[in-house]
Amino acid sequence: MDIFTISLWGITGTAFFISLIKNKQKTFNSMKMAKGMMKNMIGEIIGILFLIGLVLTFIPPEVIKNILGESNQFISTMISAFVGSITLLPAFVAFPMVGSFVDAGASIVPAVAFLTTLTMVGVVTFPLEKQEFGLKFAMTRNILSFVFAFIIALMIGVIM
Amino acid sequence: MIEIIKKNKLMTVVFLIYIFLFIVMPDKAYLSVKNSMYYIIEMIEILPVIFILTSIIEAWVPKEVILNGFGEKSGIKGNIFSFLLGSFSAGPIYAAFPICKMLLKKGASISNVVIILSSWAVIKVPMLANEAKFLGPKFMGIRWILTVISILIMSYLTAVFVKKEDIALKEEQSLNKVTGIDIKKQYCIGCGLCEKLMPQHFKLVDKKAHIREAVLDDAKINELKEVIDKCPVKAIYLK
Repeated sequence: MDIFTISLWGITGTAFFISLIKNKQKTFNSMKMAKGMMKNMIGEIIGILFLIGLVLTFIPPEVIKNILGESNQFISTMISAFVGSITLLPAFVAFPMVGSFVDAGASIVPAVAFLTTLTMVGVVTFPLEKQEFGLKFAMTRNILSFVFAFIIALMIGVIM
Repeated sequence: MIEIIKKNKLMTVVFLIYIFLFIVMPDKAYLSVKNSMYYIIEMIEILPVIFILTSIIEAWVPKEVILNGFGEKSGIKGNIFSFLLGSFSAGPIYAAFPICKMLLKKGASISNVVIILSSWAVIKVPMLANEAKFLGPKFMGIRWILTVISILIMSYLTAVFVKKEDIALKEEQSLNKVTGIDIKKQYCIGCGLCEKLMPQHFKLVDKKAHIREAVLDDAKINELKEVIDKCPVKAIYLK
């Protein structure tokens, strides 16, 4: 385990202990919630993790580098932002997946675009958003999010 | 068994591919497992801690205090509260819709609602930890700073384009006509908290909460108010 994970376990352990002292019942209820969330997502997580292995085995790094690498950044970023918009995937499943692509040679610019639109732009949930807040709000927010995902991605490309 | 397959379509497909590979090209299958192993181990190390931390935050952050800090004239304080509310909540972005709708009715501004929705989507404390693990702390840090700035700009732009009149806010139902409860299925994240707290009223079917009886008397409704408050996505409502 790296130092980062260890400290996260430390913080969480401390928080859990304090929570337990302050209110036993509340803590147990929250643990039930944690268990419920985990049970609901574990299938998807295992599926994605084993899918990463398949992708890394059958798609050679050169191909990933060619498609998502530095060479045609604008188009690959555009496509990544678009794919992120239409996908509905829990963010923490997306991180190891995107991480594996970056490790294999993908540029971080499309990676950022994908991660940002994945969470902020929701084409699948658009009807729901429209129903609650009206067409104008939903359109404005989603379009702005898409544009800013692109800007954030390009800026990270410049900074890092 | 069929139930498990139906619930985990992705996992089933991936496992079928593996079985096929182990028969046809065992070396490739072995290599795939080996390639996955690194990510699986990393995930096992961090996954439980993310779920536990998310649940503890959900249980202890005083949402009522935050929820009362909004409004048209709440200014910078309202903006900060919006960021906090979004960052410390669990669930996907659409889980924030009912809460934001409620805040709009209570007088929250359009820009604060955009901040809540956006930070709800991208800025999650436990998620940031996961991002730093798989993509590096520097990547996470820079993306976080740029995202916060972008959300602020977006919130003000949206308030310029969209006015409150554009959003249809339904009249609150009068509370004395309450005859029972219902669940907005599309918002339920299937956390199972309601079932755990009151199994006599709720049951999880296919990852979604269901109510056992729709019509209830006053005593039961009072009992249920606690669960309505506890529901992390506010999907349970009185009708």
